[in-house]
Amino acid sequence: MTPTAIISIVTFLPLAGGIILLALPRGAENAVRRWALFVTVLEFFAAAHIAFMPGHHFSMSGWAMEENYAWISTPAIRYHVVLDGISLWLVILTAFLTPLCVLISWRSVHDRVKEFFFLLLVLETALTGVFVAFDLFLFYFFWEATLIPMALLIGMYGHGRRIYASVKFFLYTAVASVFMLVAILWLYAHTGSFDFTVIQPWLRSHPEVAAGNAGLWLFLGFFIAFAVKVPIFPLHTWLPDAHVEAPTAGSVLLAGVLLKMGTYGLLRFCVGLFPEAARAQAGWINVLAIIGIIYGALVAMVQPSLKKLVAYSSVSHLGFVVLGIFTFTAAGTAGAVYQMLNHGVSTGALFILVGMLYERRHTFEISEFGGLASRMPVYAAFFVFITLSSIGLPLLNGFVGEFLVLSGAFRDRAIYGILGASGVIWSACYMLWMVQRVFYGENRNPANALLPDASAREKLTLWPLSAMALIMGVAPMIWLSSINPPVEQILKNVAPASHMAYVAGGQK
Amino acid sequence: MRLTALYLFASFSDFQQGRGSVQMPENYVPAFIFIAVALAIPVVTLAIAKAVRPDNPFGTKLMPYECGVDPEGSARGRYTVRFYIVAILFVVFDVETIFLFPWAVQARTLKAFGFIEMMVFLAILIVGYIWIWKKGALEWV
Amino acid sequence: MPGFHRGDYLLALPMMLLTLFALGVLLIDLLLDRSSKVINAWAAFAGLAFSAAAVHNIQRAFADQAARGEPSSPFFAFSGTLMVDRFAVFFFYLFLAAAAITILMSVRYLEVEDEHHGEYYALILFSVVGMMCMAAGNDLILLFIGLELMAVSTYILVGFLRRDRRSNEAALKYLLLGAFSSGIFAYGLSLLYGLAGSTNLQQISMALGNAMAPGKARVVPAVALVTTAAGLFFKIAAVPFHQWAPDAYEGAPTSITGFMSVAGKASAWALLLRIFLFALGPMRPLYVPILVFVAIATMTGGNLAALTQSNVKRLFAYSSIAHVGYIMLGLIAGTAFLPNPDGIRGILVYLLVYTFMNLGVFGVIASLRRRDIIGDELDDLNGLFFKAPTEAVLMLTFLLSLAGIPPLAGFYGKYFIFLALIESGHYALATLAVIYVAVSAYYYLRVANAMFMRTAGDRVPVTISPGMWAGLAITGAATVVIGIYPEPFLRMVNWSMHVAQNPTVAQLLR
Repeated sequence: MTPTAIISIVTFLPLAGGIILLALPRGAENAVRRWALFVTVLEFFAAAHIAFMPGHHFSMSGWAMEENYAWISTPAIRYHVVLDGISLWLVILTAFLTPLCVLISWRSVHDRVKEFFFLLLVLETALTGVFVAFDLFLFYFFWEATLIPMALLIGMYGHGRRIYASVKFFLYTAVASVFMLVAILWLYAHTGSFDFTVIQPWLRSHPEVAAGNAGLWLFLGFFIAFAVKVPIFPLHTWLPDAHVEAPTAGSVLLAGVLLKMGTYGLLRFCVGLFPEAARAQAGWINVLAIIGIIYGALVAMVQPSLKKLVAYSSVSHLGFVVLGIFTFTAAGTAGAVYQMLNHGVSTGALFILVGMLYERRHTFEISEFGGLASRMPVYAAFFVFITLSSIGLPLLNGFVGEFLVLSGAFRDRAIYGILGASGVIWSACYMLWMVQRVFYGENRNPANALLPDASAREKLTLWPLSAMALIMGVAPMIWLSSINPPVEQILKNVAPASHMAYVAGGQK
Repeated sequence: MRLTALYLFASFSDFQQGRGSVQMPENYVPAFIFIAVALAIPVVTLAIAKAVRPDNPFGTKLMPYECGVDPEGSARGRYTVRFYIVAILFVVFDVETIFLFPWAVQARTLKAFGFIEMMVFLAILIVGYIWIWKKGALEWV
Repeated sequence: MPGFHRGDYLLALPMMLLTLFALGVLLIDLLLDRSSKVINAWAAFAGLAFSAAAVHNIQRAFADQAARGEPSSPFFAFSGTLMVDRFAVFFFYLFLAAAAITILMSVRYLEVEDEHHGEYYALILFSVVGMMCMAAGNDLILLFIGLELMAVSTYILVGFLRRDRRSNEAALKYLLLGAFSSGIFAYGLSLLYGLAGSTNLQQISMALGNAMAPGKARVVPAVALVTTAAGLFFKIAAVPFHQWAPDAYEGAPTSITGFMSVAGKASAWALLLRIFLFALGPMRPLYVPILVFVAIATMTGGNLAALTQSNVKRLFAYSSIAHVGYIMLGLIAGTAFLPNPDGIRGILVYLLVYTFMNLGVFGVIASLRRRDIIGDELDDLNGLFFKAPTEAVLMLTFLLSLAGIPPLAGFYGKYFIFLALIESGHYALATLAVIYVAVSAYYYLRVANAMFMRTAGDRVPVTISPGMWAGLAITGAATVVIGIYPEPFLRMVNWSMHVAQNPTVAQLLR
């Protein structure tokens, strides 16, 4: 536990950049873009260098870094932010994706440019805050704060039915999160603190609460908020609408980071605070996760729209994450965290790729395309590579996460593993079929004849993502070595000893 | 208004006698008797008159009349709105005398304090009067 | 008999100064020509400032009390009819702030409406006097006079746009229903007087304590409670006594709608708290079920009716009804069987933050009023972001605050009330309330959608007067600052929570 200011710097740097950005003159759109890119790249380096900071051992258990100040005395709300092996990588993922979002919005956003990048930077601060907040009040604060910029991004810069999608997104998450608020207030009323590090020991020392009815209701209060965000079947219906109508940058952050807020919350708060209730309820949650995996894949298969297909593939992939968390095995849960990062990279990349096509043709319809590989070879190569990473080809990132999750699922209950594994096959089906229809075969649409290949700026966006997909596939221990300790810490309370047999590194 | 009257009644009877509270039923018995008598008088007199007088109504006799000729137009014609304004102003200033009477009765006891209070009250009233005047509410045009 | 001394007048000084300035405005107005009516506003403003100084003087007296190490006790004046405690001081400041912001926002609006008269400002000051009597009254008579002074001034202000049919209709409806409710209320008060033989709140409380002793018939106390409560529910616009609110809010001049919805509502709440906590305390077992019923009905009625409104002022009328429901939950939690002061604290915090955010909302709507454009339909807000980005962002801030989204002030009002509900074991009510909060997010979002995501129907620029800017800046800053750093404001509320330390009330709350 080392006190440090770096967490606050990383959290509020984008916001500060955004406020400066507001001061730029209205006409200077290129200056706005460059400034936003500069701030987000700076933010990425600030976040990434934490992983290499000497003296902080993310591979050891416990919270690696924290800042803890009193904020409001009554009610006792503290500004308590913590980075550990789980939150660190999610923060870096956020910082990694945002500059790419700036790059892909370079041309596609031409109206109200300043407001767009301002919202993007505010969103980045809110997302980072969600992952580092350890005071439940602060967490709720950031949690709700992500809603507004995202809803505005969808509603102001989206496509056709953007208002409907924006309202639906806002309402689903707002309605669900009020249940979490009730649970948080209950905890405060009984512990006199919002601090995770106070509440968790309190719950440990009051098993009659944690394992009793109260614990169950509190667990459900948190669960419903997170389940909508993930989204867990059948609460996923806002997701396709939000994705399809959102601008590309919005989709990338929505799929890449916002959904992770849900799975992160499930792991950190639902399982971390209420292990007994989590274990008792794991059965039906896992069933819902598996339904999500298969349902998402089947619906993705029949989508006529590229973007909807990717959106439903998210439902399927997030099902893996939920399944992994609720197997309560070290492999499964660590795999779930890894899968969160994978999904951020792969699906983020897919949305970026789809967005590039949309910029050229202004349509997402798969039937409009065909034979693009010959017109846009570089673009097609990137697309296929990312597709393979998404469906979990060995040596690419998706494989590691899915493999760990499934090995955890088999350990928990074989049928989970069998059904979950079928999801991998389904995802290969719909993704490869889509690739085939879009990139190969005959090009019958004359509008596709003159499509330009990926530009330098687009390549600049795609290279980091592709490189990351490869590195995460071949060297997962970089990540897993710091993910494992906090995961084990969480699982210590929930799992019998036999589930801890997995030794990090022995599984690859 | 009723409340104000109750209050005055209570404060003048209680505070002077130095009692903390009023026992409700006994003190109100005279008032209830008074109300009962007041209600009874018209009812009884009308009933007696009805009983003793010759009673022979017919159509022409029951018809309303204006100075002996047949009535013209509706009896419910409208007055000009100015009458209402004058009536309201009259009521406003007339009701203020309610406050003057108890003060006048107690003026000796209240001494300078009561006098100043009443002058403040009248000053407020005069501001209202000036305002009404300047606004033209007293003009009959 | 008159044992009045200087201290009595010092306690009444805030009201006396306001009355003086109101009379002054009436007279000054007669000397002013049409172009210099703004002087009235300045005079009224000065009155508010002097009154605030007088309130500050009282506040200092409390500080002296604390410095001498004495327990905080209220100051009584005029034979115990006026009781100025910290609770009253809190509300004094609230009313003065609301009136000041309203005046800032009114000048330009009245000029556009072509109804710029000095009486407007005088009536605002008079109604503040009435509100102060409601907050500091310790006697049924003073409370009732204060209520009527506030209400009559507001009736006229609602109908201030003499040439506007809606305004006239609203004023008439408000007058008739208001007079009706005052009658019911007065009937309840007279029964209380009959039971206690006194109009003093403490004496009533004692008498009711005896009347509620086990084994006694409770019919008369129950009737007194129900009629008093019905009258009060009318004034705070709780369902099913809310029908006047949407019409009155829609028809009134927008600046007055804002004023009514914050200061009028806060004063009605001050009165309600005085009566329910100080006088009717012993009847808690009877009134808590009534409050639960009314609170649920109010949240349901307000929120569901607001969903489909197309007129912004009507929408916010229903939204303010819904907010009354939440505030009432605070009273339930504060007086229920497991009582706790967080409920009452929640009410005060709620009223404080509501003052700023709701005045801000009506300020933005008022600024949309231009020649030939009324600006109170939802469609009139379309594309506001592109015409007047600052205003649209401010409006969004107010909306999110009303919806209770955390970084903003509105969250803390809801926070304390929900916390109190959970502390006192009302889990079902808390859950219901948060569901309605989520529902309310929908209609606030409709307004936000219109501003940010639709395209404007007209290109008429929105021009904002300096006064309006000042008003919007104050309300906007307060909404954000209270949200991010509520500490000083919460300290202020805690300071004024003297209401919970009053012997009568402390007994009730423990």
